[in-house]
Formats: sequence, C-alpha cells, structure tokens
Amino acid sequence: MKPPAGPTHPAPPSVHTSTGPEAASPRPGRVEPLPREVLERVCARDPEALGAFFDRYFDHVFGLVCRLLGDRTAAEDVTQEVFLKVHRAAHQIDTARDPAPWLAAIATNACRDVWRSGAFRLGRRSASLDDDPALAASLGSRSGDPERLAVAREREQKVQQAIAALPEPLREAVVLHDYQGLSHQDIAALLGVEHAAARKRYSRALAALAKQLKGLLG
Amino acid sequence: MSDLERLTPEQEQARDAVRALPPLAARPAYRARLREGFVTGTLDTPARVVPLRSRTRPVWIGVTAAAAAAVVLAFALNRGPRWEVMGTSGAGAIEVDGRAVPANDAGAVTAALHPGARVRMTGDAELVIQSGHSVAIDVMPGSEVTLPAPPPRWIARATAGELRTGELRITTGPGFHGARLAIATPEAGIEVTGTTLAVIREPQGTCVCVLEGTVRMGGHREAMVPVPHGHLRYVFGDGHAKMDDMRPVERVQLTLFRAARARGMAE
Repeated sequence: MKPPAGPTHPAPPSVHTSTGPEAASPRPGRVEPLPREVLERVCARDPEALGAFFDRYFDHVFGLVCRLLGDRTAAEDVTQEVFLKVHRAAHQIDTARDPAPWLAAIATNACRDVWRSGAFRLGRRSASLDDDPALAASLGSRSGDPERLAVAREREQKVQQAIAALPEPLREAVVLHDYQGLSHQDIAALLGVEHAAARKRYSRALAALAKQLKGLLG
Repeated sequence: MSDLERLTPEQEQARDAVRALPPLAARPAYRARLREGFVTGTLDTPARVVPLRSRTRPVWIGVTAAAAAAVVLAFALNRGPRWEVMGTSGAGAIEVDGRAVPANDAGAVTAALHPGARVRMTGDAELVIQSGHSVAIDVMPGSEVTLPAPPPRWIARATAGELRTGELRITTGPGFHGARLAIATPEAGIEVTGTTLAVIREPQGTCVCVLEGTVRMGGHREAMVPVPHGHLRYVFGDGHAKMDDMRPVERVQLTLFRAARARGMAE
C-alpha cells in the first residue's frame, strides 16, 4: 500500500445503511470508482488513464465546488486547482481505495482557501449559479413542460441560496452529505473532526436550512 | 435518540431538497481545456489575486560620522530586495522558525520571512517568493528549507540556502546577473548562476533538473559537475550519481513557472 504523503486518505467509504429518516430519499452523488488497474495507470500518469479519471470525476468535483461556493467563475478556478493538485499527487493515489473522498477533501480545502481570501470576502461575484445557461439546458433535458421547468428552477434557486447563506462549516456538512453522498464517517475524516461532531454539524445545517426554506418549497 | 433520528418534517423537506439538486454542467470549452491540461500535465495554477497587506518601508539607520554613515549606507543599499510573497496556495500552514503562519495570509508570511529562516510547508501549502528582479523561488508542498538571503545588489553577491526535503523551483531574472545562489541538501551542493531549475530532495537522494542555463552540482564527496539545460543530475545517498534527460513534468512546470515570473522580473 502506498503511503499517503501529502494528500490525506480518509478511511474507506462506509456503506450507508438505509434506515431511519435518512432512508426517505436517495442520496445522489456517489460515483462508481474506477477499476484498480486504471488507477494504477493513473499513478503512472498514463494519458489515457488520466482521461478516464477526469471523465469519471470531473462532474463530481465541479458540482461539489459549485454548490459550496455558489459562484461559477470561482468554481472553475478551484476545480482547475483541484485537478492540478491531483495531477501532481497522482503517483501517491492509493489504488486500493475509492479516490472520491480524497478528491472531496482536496476540493473542500480549496474552497476554504477561497472563503478566506480577501477578494471573496469583498463579495466579488462574477457568475452565480442562477445565471447558468447549462442549468437551463440540464433542466430541459429532464422535462419538456415549461411550467414544470420554471417551478423546478425556482425551487433549486431557493435551495442554493439557502445553502449559500449557511455558515461555511454547516454548508460543508450538508453539501458533502446530501449532495455529494458522503457518509458522516467520510466527512468526519475529511474535515478532521470526530464522527459525532460531523453528525452534529449536519443536524445544525438541516435545522438552519429548514428555517430558511420554511414555507418556500411548497 | 440522536438529533438525526428526530428530524422534523421541515428538516426532512430541506434534506430532500438538497438531495434533489441537479448536477451542474460546466462550460464545454472550459471542460475540454481542463481535460487537455490534466491529461498532458500542462495545467497551470489559475490566476488569483492574493491580497498583500501594506508594509512599512525599511528604516534606515542614522549615524553622526559621515564616513561611518556612508559605509553603513552602502552596506544597506547593497542588500538585495527582501523576499516578497508573490502567491500562496493550498490548505495548511507555513511554519517559519517553528511558528505556524496561515498559508493564505500573504502579509503575515512576508513579515515572517527573513534570511536564514527555517521554513516548513505543511499540508499542501505552497509558497512563491521573489526578490526584486533577481530571483523567484517556488517552495513546493511538503518542503523544508532554510531560506537564503536575497542576492546582494553589487558586491559579495553569493548567497546560500538549504533544502532538507521537498522541492524548490528557481528562476532567475536580469537582476541576478553576476550573483551566485548555492543550495545544499543532505547529499549534494548546487550552484546557480543564472537559470531556471528544480532542486528535488527525495528519500533516495537529490535531483536537479535544469530547464535553461547551466547549473553546477556535486555530491559532498566529489567535485562540482556542470549540468546542462534539458538534463538532470541525480546524486544518490551513497554518493553515486547519474546524468539523464530532465523529467518531463519538470520541463513543463518549470516552463510555466518561468513564464509566470518573467514579467514580474523584467526590468
């Protein structure tokens, strides 16, 4: 097993058992890991394997970063940084584990850098997710009913705005769990907190979201 | 029962609304460019302004005797421009002389750096520093270095630093002409007189990759050997050495680093 120097490797993703309230709706976001032999070629920086890696995980990373930052231009920069770091550390990938939690850790840390930067704190926003033509296109691919599209888009805008209004630690907790599909165990390892603390953050995030969205979702 | 097992209907609705958020599509041109860069290893760090706090200018020492004042003034004027932080990235802290400084606080990092400072990069923090038009150094994640003094301007223009582990990428500018920068690792010494190179200290030994110019490198038990551009020289822990073509990834990264710093160092 390759020693994880540099990027930390959380414990293998835990199987999320469908019991209790969390079973009410399926969690999106989990990506089928690449086969081990492909990951080994990624370690060797084989171009074809790198392409497969990119194709498998790009949307996963970009979506996470977009939801955390709520800004498309910043998300493009951060996603580029993430893949730059991945390429530099490719030789250190643990081929026995799903790289998704590792990618989520890099992406989350990169988003934290952005949150701490002066430019972001000054509120510079160049392209919100609401203005995204690709979003309209993705909505269009799901349904041809204009009214249903408009309702769905409005709902998504409200939810994203509510997420963006959360304090960053709570935003991380709910996006990583409910949008990205990571377990609380993975999230705890990623954030460097205890499992109980990760669950607590998630509870507080849901409580805050519920308060913001009360009466708005219909 | 835990909080998660006591979700209110509103909390369940909020949770389900997040789970129902659709995936977000990137711009096709952006995605294609990023993919190409990732596959070929030519991705660059996206330009991002790291705000620098204003600093007070150096305070000149005043003396009453005119000759002493002139010597002191000349000595002070000879000092190279102090290290400026040109960029930081990554999570983690930069430890300077054992004290952690947030990697994203460029002002604090600048204030903490000084010649001879022992710098350790934690997490995936990375630091780029530059001395005027003279030299820029990219301190890569995981590196432990002793910072050299900026090369003096006119006389006694030799300066030295140390790399205990990790990697430094170095590129010199027009202001470096005639100066000499020495980097020592546990098994080798490297002399830079005007070039772009990477010094990589790994568990097996020290590698120098030279993009342009000529670098001299030697194990501590051997004479210095010139390493021409486009090549690497590796000195292993047992003292034996080899010369080879430079690492492709270093060729790309050093080219990008040189380009990124070239405009800032142009006179």
